[in-house]
Amino acid sequence: MVQLRPRVSRTPASASAMVDEGQPASEEEAEHGLLLGQPSSGAAAEPLQDDEEGDSEFDEDEAPEELTFASAQAEAREEERRVRETVRRDKALLKEKRKRREELFIEQKKRKLLPDTVLEKLTTAPQTTIKKSPGKLKEVILQKKNEECEKGSDSKKTKEKVQKVQSVGHNKSYLAVRLKDQDLRDSRQEAAKAFIQNCLYGPGTNRTTVNKFLSLDNKRLPVKKAAAQFLNNAWGTQRKQNAKRFKRRWMVRRMKTSKN
Amino acid sequence: MGEFKVHRVRFFNYVPSGIRCVAYNNQSNRLAVSRTDGTVEIYNLSANYFQEKFFPGHESRATEALCWAKGQRLFSAGLNGEIIEYDLQALNIKYAMDAFGGPIWSMAASPSGSQLLVGCEDGSVKLFQITPGKIQFERNFDRQKRSAIHKMLVDRQYMGVSKRKCIIWGVAFLSDGTVISVDSAGKVQFWDSATGTLVKNHLIANADVQSIAVSDQEDSFVVGTAEGTVFHFQLVSVTSNSSEKQWVRTKPFQHHTHDVRAVAHSPTALISGGTDTHLVIRPLMEKVEVKNYDAALRKITFPHRRLISCSKKKQLLLFQFAHHLELWQLGSTVATGKNGDTLPLSKDADHLLHLKTKGPENIICSCISPCGSWIAYSTASRFFLYRLSYERDNISLQRVSKMPAFLRSALQILFSEDSAKLFVASNQGSLHIIRLLEGSFKHLHTFQPQSGTVESMCLLAVSPDGNWLAASGTSAGVHVYNVKNLKLHCTVPAYNFPVTALAIAPSTNNLVIAHSDQQVFEYSIPDKQYTEWSRTIQKQGFHHLWLQRDTPITHISFHLKRPMHILLHDAYMFCIIDKSLPLPNDKTLLYNPLPPKNESDVIRRRTAHAFKISKIYKPLLFMDLLDERTLVAVERPLDDIIAQLPPPIKKKKFGT
Repeated sequence: MVQLRPRVSRTPASASAMVDEGQPASEEEAEHGLLLGQPSSGAAAEPLQDDEEGDSEFDEDEAPEELTFASAQAEAREEERRVRETVRRDKALLKEKRKRREELFIEQKKRKLLPDTVLEKLTTAPQTTIKKSPGKLKEVILQKKNEECEKGSDSKKTKEKVQKVQSVGHNKSYLAVRLKDQDLRDSRQEAAKAFIQNCLYGPGTNRTTVNKFLSLDNKRLPVKKAAAQFLNNAWGTQRKQNAKRFKRRWMVRRMKTSKN
Repeated sequence: MGEFKVHRVRFFNYVPSGIRCVAYNNQSNRLAVSRTDGTVEIYNLSANYFQEKFFPGHESRATEALCWAKGQRLFSAGLNGEIIEYDLQALNIKYAMDAFGGPIWSMAASPSGSQLLVGCEDGSVKLFQITPGKIQFERNFDRQKRSAIHKMLVDRQYMGVSKRKCIIWGVAFLSDGTVISVDSAGKVQFWDSATGTLVKNHLIANADVQSIAVSDQEDSFVVGTAEGTVFHFQLVSVTSNSSEKQWVRTKPFQHHTHDVRAVAHSPTALISGGTDTHLVIRPLMEKVEVKNYDAALRKITFPHRRLISCSKKKQLLLFQFAHHLELWQLGSTVATGKNGDTLPLSKDADHLLHLKTKGPENIICSCISPCGSWIAYSTASRFFLYRLSYERDNISLQRVSKMPAFLRSALQILFSEDSAKLFVASNQGSLHIIRLLEGSFKHLHTFQPQSGTVESMCLLAVSPDGNWLAASGTSAGVHVYNVKNLKLHCTVPAYNFPVTALAIAPSTNNLVIAHSDQQVFEYSIPDKQYTEWSRTIQKQGFHHLWLQRDTPITHISFHLKRPMHILLHDAYMFCIIDKSLPLPNDKTLLYNPLPPKNESDVIRRRTAHAFKISKIYKPLLFMDLLDERTLVAVERPLDDIIAQLPPPIKKKKFGT
């Protein structure tokens, strides 16, 4: 229950006063039963002040403080400038951060790539021609590698389409293969499988379903039986549930009426 | 015998993969079969058509051709462009060599066996030289210079005939210059290679004719069609005395329901396999010398190894598929009934776990411990061990990481009865014993193979008291190891047929071995000799109907309280052997249903013998004794498999 004290005067409150009064006001509340900041009441346009404090600070008869337009405008402009400054600063900081991150990534990527020498070899190797040597083991020694065979780079059997460059460098524990060729192999395998699937089960083939196949026997027996059909357990689950619920309710009703 | 409640399980959704290629090796009478998931199986046709070896599949391997070369070497080539050689001793892949021609459509070996020809997608035919270690590329034939070299199966060609392109599925080249081609229009055509003209045209089917195989003597060949029919063509003389011969279609066989994609011709039989996953071996009557049961049709449908393991304490079943494992809890019932009743379930079977394997490789073997807290499985390159914990209604799985490197590629995994030890048979021939602790493991010991041979151990059995471990390889006898002392105890003498099932009895520690020719031996481990009962039955011999069963025994188990009983099963029957009863001789009825009470005593005496056989549950994939009064039988009806196969060709029948 709120007791609105009688409106005595409209004493304007400065910002600090408003803030300070939050606390003592609550203490006062306990005594007066006031609720500060009630929105619906008309008197909530300005905060209800504490009588004693307000009275001590301002005179009851004093006129409200005068705010010239110029000062208000200056204040507003200051605010705006401050806000603009902060936004600009934020943007600049973000840009810096992003730039730093990008540089870091480029560094990491560079570290991950193979050294330049290896890359060079990889790209120039396919350009050397591979000749078919009939009747012999296919060992083609790349001309470039020939000069550097002391480095331990091996030559590898190569076939016409795919070139594999092995063990460029000292340790022979890895195999460098062009990714393009791997994709080709998978796609060819998929194409081959699709071809077989199309020939055997695609359009134009005379295929029947399993139901019909299993029903053939039933229909040729001396005592003809129905065709084989596969159950769909997921059919009409909602209807089945409703039926179950209805049945339960009906049973309960039956029990009640039979008792009475 | 006793009364049992039987859990009849039909929720194992096992669908084998279709057969893609078949290759017959004359010298060793073995058949290599490659399936669409990449598995290659080797069947020993002289050991009662038993599958003695297999290589697990791989997702990227789409095998299109399989062939044997000199010295029992097996090669396969597929759509991924690689030629793979299989190591038949160590049961792994020796190497895979890329042929650099794109997908390989066909492959053939020269008659001398020292050269290999592959036909590639880019139109080239490459010749490889087979050296003792590897194969080496020799030369390359372009499309123009394809000079025929003896028998060659060349890849497909396109011929624009009628609306749809007619695809030639297979070609065979005979040494007298005739070329036989089979195509998708249902025709078998004979061409003369010298003149390049069509000699004869046989229209044999409405659908594609997909495979062809010629016999070694080149006087007969067999073709398979997409309707499931297999036709036999023979070279017969025109009239009885003339020397002129011509090719005549002699016999049709309809043993398949779906496409027949691979056929092979052995000297005495026609072998066919296709999308309906059956392998059919049809001996030809005129080629078979002795007309006994061996000359009957053989149809291999169900696997010759166990794909199911069972945890008896918790009533769990672990099903092994190609790429995942499923763990099920059996249902329970509180009702009772008489003989033959179906009892209603009070709690349904529960699908507890669906464990997918990472990677493209197939699972080779799997096992669950008897207490139900450990699951182990192995692929060709990795070994996985999981710890299960059950809290009220939930089940949680924890993987044991950092498995040792020597455990990769296990052929068989087995847990001991107290679930404290794990036995792993690797494909290098060694046997590892691992002790299982709370969340980790400790490697105890490794039994190395006998010097000289790399004999892969295929089957393992452990005694319930944990003292003995029996391991059988493919050719040597069964080794029995003492687990407490970690030493080899004894070796059961080798028998010329491979072992199909192995088990050790609980109290007597008798090792029961079943072979692929349906012989069952019982060997006493403490005494290191065959038991009396075993000697008696060997002397008398088994009943002829018992020996004529065509599926191998895949599991043997025992009754805890009745040491005289042995329970074993194959795909179409299960049998309890009562060692205290007399053995049947050839005159008694082997399959004796329970005689009704009012039958006379004479008949009852006549039919009361040691082999109590029941054919109620079939086709059986697994049967075991859960406790004294409960059995579990996992069946797989054939219709359920057919329902999940690719669609067959439409057959128009009158009246449907």
